[in-house]
Amino acid sequence: MDFLEFTQQLVNGFSLGSMYALIAIGYTMVYGVLRLINFAHGDIMMVGAFLGYFGMAVLGLPFVAAVLLAVVGSASLGMLTDKVAYKPLRDAPKISLLITAIGISFFLENIFNVLFGGTSRAFPVPEYMEYIINAGGIIFTVASLMVPIVTLMLLAMILWVLYKTKYGMAIRALAFDVNTVNLMGIDANRIIMIVFGMGSALAAVGGIFWAVSYPSVEPMMGVLIGLKAFAAAVVGGIGSVGGAVIGGFIIGFTEVVVVAFLPEYGGYKDAFAFVLLILVLLFKPTGILGINFDKSRF
Amino acid sequence: MNIVIRKDQWINLAIIASALWFIWFASTHFDKYTVRILNNIAIFTILAVSYNLINGVTGQFSLEPNGFVAIGAYVTALLLLDGDAKEYQYDIEDPYPWVLGLQANFVWALFFAGTFSALLALTLSFPVFRVRGDYLAIVTLGFGFIIRILAINNPEITNGSLGLNDIPEFSNLYWTGGVAILAVIGILNVVNSKYGRAMKAVRDDEDAAIAMGVNTFKIKTFAFCTSAFLEGVGGGLLAALLTSISPDLFTFFFTFQLLIIIVLGGLGSTTGAIIGTVLVIGGAEWMRFLDEPMNFGLFETPAMPGMRMVVFSIILIFVMLFAREGIMGKRELTDLFKRKGKK
Amino acid sequence: MRKLTTLATSVALLATVAVAKEIKVGAVMPMSGPLAAYGQVTYEGIEFAHKIQPTLKNGDTIKLILLDNKGDKVETATGTTRLISSDKVVAILGALTSTNTAQTIAIADKKKIPVIASVATNDKLTMKRTFANRVCFTDSFQGEVVANYALKDLGLKTAVVIVDQAQVYSLGLAKAFQKAFKKGGGKIVKKIKITSGDKDFKAVVSQIKRINPDFMFLPLYHPEASMIARQSKQIGLSKPMFSGDGVANQTFIDLGGKSVEGYMFTDFFDYSAPPTQKSKDFIAAYAKETGKNELNSFTALGADTYFLLVDAMNRCSDPSDSICINKEIKASKGFEGVSGVINMDKAGNATRSAVIKVITNGKAVYKTTVNP
Repeated sequence: MDFLEFTQQLVNGFSLGSMYALIAIGYTMVYGVLRLINFAHGDIMMVGAFLGYFGMAVLGLPFVAAVLLAVVGSASLGMLTDKVAYKPLRDAPKISLLITAIGISFFLENIFNVLFGGTSRAFPVPEYMEYIINAGGIIFTVASLMVPIVTLMLLAMILWVLYKTKYGMAIRALAFDVNTVNLMGIDANRIIMIVFGMGSALAAVGGIFWAVSYPSVEPMMGVLIGLKAFAAAVVGGIGSVGGAVIGGFIIGFTEVVVVAFLPEYGGYKDAFAFVLLILVLLFKPTGILGINFDKSRF
Repeated sequence: MNIVIRKDQWINLAIIASALWFIWFASTHFDKYTVRILNNIAIFTILAVSYNLINGVTGQFSLEPNGFVAIGAYVTALLLLDGDAKEYQYDIEDPYPWVLGLQANFVWALFFAGTFSALLALTLSFPVFRVRGDYLAIVTLGFGFIIRILAINNPEITNGSLGLNDIPEFSNLYWTGGVAILAVIGILNVVNSKYGRAMKAVRDDEDAAIAMGVNTFKIKTFAFCTSAFLEGVGGGLLAALLTSISPDLFTFFFTFQLLIIIVLGGLGSTTGAIIGTVLVIGGAEWMRFLDEPMNFGLFETPAMPGMRMVVFSIILIFVMLFAREGIMGKRELTDLFKRKGKK
Repeated sequence: MRKLTTLATSVALLATVAVAKEIKVGAVMPMSGPLAAYGQVTYEGIEFAHKIQPTLKNGDTIKLILLDNKGDKVETATGTTRLISSDKVVAILGALTSTNTAQTIAIADKKKIPVIASVATNDKLTMKRTFANRVCFTDSFQGEVVANYALKDLGLKTAVVIVDQAQVYSLGLAKAFQKAFKKGGGKIVKKIKITSGDKDFKAVVSQIKRINPDFMFLPLYHPEASMIARQSKQIGLSKPMFSGDGVANQTFIDLGGKSVEGYMFTDFFDYSAPPTQKSKDFIAAYAKETGKNELNSFTALGADTYFLLVDAMNRCSDPSDSICINKEIKASKGFEGVSGVINMDKAGNATRSAVIKVITNGKAVYKTTVNP
């Protein structure tokens, strides 16, 4: 457990945490405006990864074009689910909304299973992404360096949208009070749709990163990752974009560090996120960034 | 007023009596396959009515059944298997001595299964219900995963992913049907008690309920623990019916099936939960045709294994969007009789 | 014209049915759910074998009834009960994994209906049961094959074993290998536990790099094994890797890419070296039907469950007598199956050879056959 190895694990955790963070942002934003745990979010990530796969393996697109296809496709799917499944239920009891979300999630998983089969498919990772860098004994691929950098860039972009644009202001206002937003003449449904689009686009990027780092895609890949990303959002403080990123890194690091330094507990790796979630709910339900539940969410 | 109550009681008694008669008739006259499906229906009835208590009656969205059913099944299996049978089965690690010593008869095994689940539910209640139950769904979903992880990683107790086999087959239609009847009576009594009214108050308007002096934390916890108790018992019956259990039995699909059952039957209605069970568990057998190749005259679709799950999820979304009341709404069977009587 | 042909065929079919009896055989397979991919390729073999040989010697026809168990125990139990009590099948083929097959056997054994498992390798599956049979080898045999090959042919003395805690297959094979490897004088320097579904093995592989064993034994399925191979190569860990039949499929090579070059694994048979006349014929027919001659091992074993059953039924005076069928299955000696020569023993286990393959230039290449 020397310094070198610790740094190595830090690099690994940074890359894993970034992917959780990208997905957690979508959860947190949707929760902010709708107070809905969007169970289908993890599956939107899966669809993103699949679209990337199709773009490259079937259509033969270059990597960047495939990412673009995945982002646009997932964003449209996210907005479509909102329009078809969530929008009609705005005034319904919350439980109906949650049940519908679970239904959408199960639907996406199983329709992909029926159409493309349950076996993992190899994701065609571009050669340069797998290029190995050895920085004084710390070994990582280009991909695992790129993942955190792109994540931080996207985070900056999201924050810019939220705080510097008209839409961002509307999103923040919506999280604050729906009725007032409607009274101000803003179309709340339009704003909610934009939130779904943004969250799903980020999930698609997360999904592609996932497929690049661990080159396989399959219909159930979003389930566990989605759950952990949600835990990350709560740990960071649900409703807060910055919190989601912090939560994502915390969960990514914990997983990597525990597996590396306490290998006998490796089997419990997937449980850490939930233990953290429960601890946070017990001692600080507002999460790390401590946003008050009845006030602004961003 | 008196007459109405008496009539209600008569109806209830008549229903119980005919259910008992049906159990006897089915066990003596039907073939094994039908009896097995009836057994499944009885166990899922127990699970559905108890799941409905927390989701439908109290209005707290929870995804816990697979976790508690697993707990119940494991507790029961460990209590029913004798030391020798365990010694022979444990293949990954040697069992702890106390695991070998566990032993109880079927009644006690089921009781402990329920109690253990209820105690776990109590522990989960503290983090979850402090924050208005928003996170109940995700915490219970995670709980189901954790139970599986625990079962896999503690082979000294659970025999890991090999699971437990050769569990004595105690469950039969008298047991499953009998417990199902007791569970339905118990749940109906809870629903019609002052606790039940408080649960509905929490569901319909939590703020108003708090204003009326309802201790919502206590009510939610009570509903959750009652559900967990019966789910544990149901799990025990399932273990003694299947005679073998393993961690991969208790996946999220288990919970999803129950969710469809109560949504289809009408969230909040115990009668609805029973009708839903019969439709979904009985219907699942019938729905096998969906996975097979279909001939539409002009064209033939290839076999699409897994289509059933897609249909299940579409049904769920459809009911939520267009028929939120389900089959029974929030009404019970006796309500139907009452209305007729009043007219 | 086409209609006329159909009509003619149906009339012909009707005619045969009228004179001969129809005997029902059940199959329980996961056609949906997480195990669907394996269930589908296995059933493909059963179905194709049925197509080749749909009738018995005496003219009776066999009707195959497939029930999807979704990879789930409750469904397996319901399906098995239905096959036995409502469809009145004489024998059951299935149900892929050891856990689900154990469930099928538990029910069938009480009703005295023989079960033939295709790929359930767990040692205990057939113990204490009368009506349990299988055409695959057991975990202990496969573990021994790997251990002996590594020790004697490759001269590898120290091993790291990576075991998947969530898979019965992995636990059984790891245990058998450890026992045989230690017995042969080898040393297990470390046993690492993982759980299926894991994708990130960076911590695992860097640990192995530090330990520096002679080779790695990975009794895993292809998703985890391929990820470990990839991440090993990334950190420059290039020790020999060995797996069981869990990676014996093209998906493994697709997922692993260049990193699985030189990867060794045991398998039941190799389509490029057909061990019997029957496998030659079967592969030819299969190629004609599907256009590909890469016959998956699972498909071959699926076919063998069917052929072995038909062979046993033919030896019974009453081919619908389940007790006789069971006796004859266990009495099968030198049976030439698609996947090789099978000798059944009293316990219902198959004594058969294993092949070792090595991945070369993105193809699984036959290396040697190990006889029991």
